[in-house]
Amino acid sequence: MLTKIAGGDIIDPVNGRLGKGDLWIRDDKIVAAPAGGAAERTIDAAGCIVMAGAIDIHSHIGGGNVNTARLLLPEQHAAHQARPATTPLSNAGWSTFQTGCLYAKMGFTTVVEPAMSPGAALHTHLELADIPIIDKATLAILGNDDFLLSMIRDDASSQMIEDYVAWTVASTRALGVKVINAGAAAAFKENVRTFSLDDVVPSYGVSSRKIVKTLQAAVDSLGVPHPLHVHCNNLGSPGSADTAAATIAAAEGLPLHLAHLQFYGYGTEGKRRFSSAAARLAELVNATPEVTIDIGQVMFGQTVTVSSDVMRQFSARGSAQPKKSVIHDGDGNGGGVVPYSYGKDFYGTMQWAIGLELFLLIDDPWRVFFTTDHPNGAPFTAYPALFELLMSREARTEMIAGLPKSAMALSTLAAVDREYTFEEIAIMTRAAPAKLLGLSDRGHLGAGAIADIAVYRRNWSIAKMLGQAAYVFKDGDLVVQDGEITHYRWGKALRLNPSPDKAMVRRLEDYHQQRYGLSLDWFNFPDSAIAREQPFGEVACRT
Amino acid sequence: MAVAWIGNRETLVERAAAHAAALLGSSRCPVFSLDTDIHGTRAAIALAERVGAAYDHVDGAVVSRETALFTDKGAMTVAPGETRRRADVVVIVGELPQIHHEFVGELSATVPDLSAPDLSAKNQREIFLVGSNGTSAPPLSNGRTATLLSCGEASLGATLAALRAQWKGRQTSQPVSNFDDFTKALEAAHFPVFLFSGDATEGLALEMLQGLITDLNRKSRASGLHLPASENGWGSALASTWMTGFPLRTGFARGFPEFDPWRYDVARMIAAGEADLHLRISSSIVQPQKKQTRKNRMALIALAKTQEPIAGAAVTIAIGEAGVDHEAVVYSGRTGSLRSIDARAASELPSAATVIRLVASHVSAEAALPC
Ligand SMILES: [Zn+2]
Repeated sequence: MLTKIAGGDIIDPVNGRLGKGDLWIRDDKIVAAPAGGAAERTIDAAGCIVMAGAIDIHSHIGGGNVNTARLLLPEQHAAHQARPATTPLSNAGWSTFQTGCLYAKMGFTTVVEPAMSPGAALHTHLELADIPIIDKATLAILGNDDFLLSMIRDDASSQMIEDYVAWTVASTRALGVKVINAGAAAAFKENVRTFSLDDVVPSYGVSSRKIVKTLQAAVDSLGVPHPLHVHCNNLGSPGSADTAAATIAAAEGLPLHLAHLQFYGYGTEGKRRFSSAAARLAELVNATPEVTIDIGQVMFGQTVTVSSDVMRQFSARGSAQPKKSVIHDGDGNGGGVVPYSYGKDFYGTMQWAIGLELFLLIDDPWRVFFTTDHPNGAPFTAYPALFELLMSREARTEMIAGLPKSAMALSTLAAVDREYTFEEIAIMTRAAPAKLLGLSDRGHLGAGAIADIAVYRRNWSIAKMLGQAAYVFKDGDLVVQDGEITHYRWGKALRLNPSPDKAMVRRLEDYHQQRYGLSLDWFNFPDSAIAREQPFGEVACRT
Repeated sequence: MAVAWIGNRETLVERAAAHAAALLGSSRCPVFSLDTDIHGTRAAIALAERVGAAYDHVDGAVVSRETALFTDKGAMTVAPGETRRRADVVVIVGELPQIHHEFVGELSATVPDLSAPDLSAKNQREIFLVGSNGTSAPPLSNGRTATLLSCGEASLGATLAALRAQWKGRQTSQPVSNFDDFTKALEAAHFPVFLFSGDATEGLALEMLQGLITDLNRKSRASGLHLPASENGWGSALASTWMTGFPLRTGFARGFPEFDPWRYDVARMIAAGEADLHLRISSSIVQPQKKQTRKNRMALIALAKTQEPIAGAAVTIAIGEAGVDHEAVVYSGRTGSLRSIDARAASELPSAATVIRLVASHVSAEAALPC
């Protein structure tokens, strides 16, 4: 079918297309305007902006820890409305079904679950497969697993380490690799309670830095498009800006992605010894071109923190609101679930301001990514409000007026004039994520791209405009109209598929037999286990 | 081989499914009880939404006790693999279901290989059993026996409370047996692990156990290994949680999912005569339908691995067993996650998911079911 999206303001920074025009779709792809072609369907986009579907690179949407969070907090996601006829279970609060619908309504068409425990890969993919409409992807967690730590301790060759990383990525159907507080979960099992970049994991004699550097090199050398995704040490502590700074410096010319930098934007100034170090970190990011970051913006209200940083979550248990939590020592990282409410008090305000400072003080929209680290800083449903804060100084000023002055005094936010343009938003939420993840088929509106398209009707309220798309196409299929989902379709989980080294597979088989008393078959699964047609889409490694 | 019946009359599966759908369509209060794999659960929940049913595990009370630990208090838990590799002290809490005995035996036959525990000098893990004199422990290797921690005939909860109090140095009315051995073992331990399930354990005991684990973690490490009483039950609870936000004992009476462990206790709904239709999905156990009373005129639709109609069932459809007749995804207590299993003896018998989808296809609908 040939579709014309007519007369919208097209914002496609990748192809240099900015301004009024038509966009053509044939079936599931964007095409050049056909010579004399007549559209079978015309979408009137006058008064609308037209962008590629948005891509979220870091949102905890499925898998063991997320599901544990749902289980822990039934009181927080009760549904109230009867179900819409065409979208089963979409009214079920915080269900996979609702997740897909809410993302699609905002014009998001690809979302990355950034923390898949390799041992729970099947569980994670089953959840992702029950998220309708959007495409998904996951990052496999390494860096607290005995197999890797032992190899590093024993000076294994970089080839062997790459073989192991490749096997993990392939067998778990991941799009990349994440390391979470490298070494800390292993150290926590040996009763270590704090852990920094140059601390050493007991029994292995391997430092956190060494783990990060080893994985960074392996990921780069394997041609995994997405750089190593790092959750640094000391998340949330006053003074953690030093850790982030040291980690940025440790990139040393090779690509490195730092997740939710806001949670490390903390200095130790002021009488509470808690202040904004955002300006300092932003400057470091600006000066380090091989580093990309996402924010993990905090927005006020109740949420739940879900993290594979088990050491950090254990230490945060005391602040649980409501007073319950789950702490799990897993085969590698494990994780923790601690409900939390961000209040407009000194600390909450500080965190909110630091996130915005980072957004606004990091110059290059190609290297700063739009996240709330859902649900850690805020649920992703806060995105429309966050867009407004980025695009409107007035909206920020209004917010600041209601916040404690003691906190704002320790932040530069009030003095920052910058307002994101739609073009910068299109880069930050479309073009740059596609580039960072190696997804050349999306994030732009050029001929040949998949027809993932979001059309927003202009409105004085940016939050309203970007919160409910006028039209959303996924693979050319019109799935949202006037902010409502029209029907379900089933996206894919995007994955890399490096061929695993046979010797490494044998070694891992022996290892699992010896150490766990189980064959590798216990962890492997065929695609058919997902029980959907074509559950995966393959993405190529860099050559 | 016959695979479907309406009453006692053999029929085509398609016709039996249509009849089941008609019954579901006209039911005022349908309830489902499940003992099935992940895809069977997914299909059942999608159908439950469509017909406004409540659903539960066939042995709902036990699964509910385990989910309540998480919904009410939370927990500290550890993976089975880490237990095998790190637990230098193993504490069995109450009676563990038969399905986990092999793993406990394996723990008693192996030693931890991580974090170089001091106890490895003895070349075995210390194994304790919290319970009363009557509590039976899973068989251990080499005829070893677990050291009993008991307060006479006190309940498990009371024994755990005494253990916790004594550990904190408080006076208890009745001391726990072998407490000194326990203290000595814990003081030397690197990573003690408490094995628990919801079976034969009152909910309060699970909370008390978590209190003890929390206390231990103030200064050193310890955790609990959750060995679900029913692997299918826990798998269904997980799938239900991602699909609806809630574990089992969720109902769609008002069109949206509501979790209420009392109201949607399916066994209670049946006993109280609230339910007028029972869809029972179980490839493992076949229980005869209880005699109908005047109060309880509930119709039964049975999906079961059977060669004959289930007595008293309005509709019976034969299904295969996960991992025997067909490949499946199931929860595994041995890995602590979902696992894909092949068919051990592949047969023509359809999976529960296939039959449920067939039934659902006959329920009038606006859109395709999501799974
Ligand atoms: Zn995160």
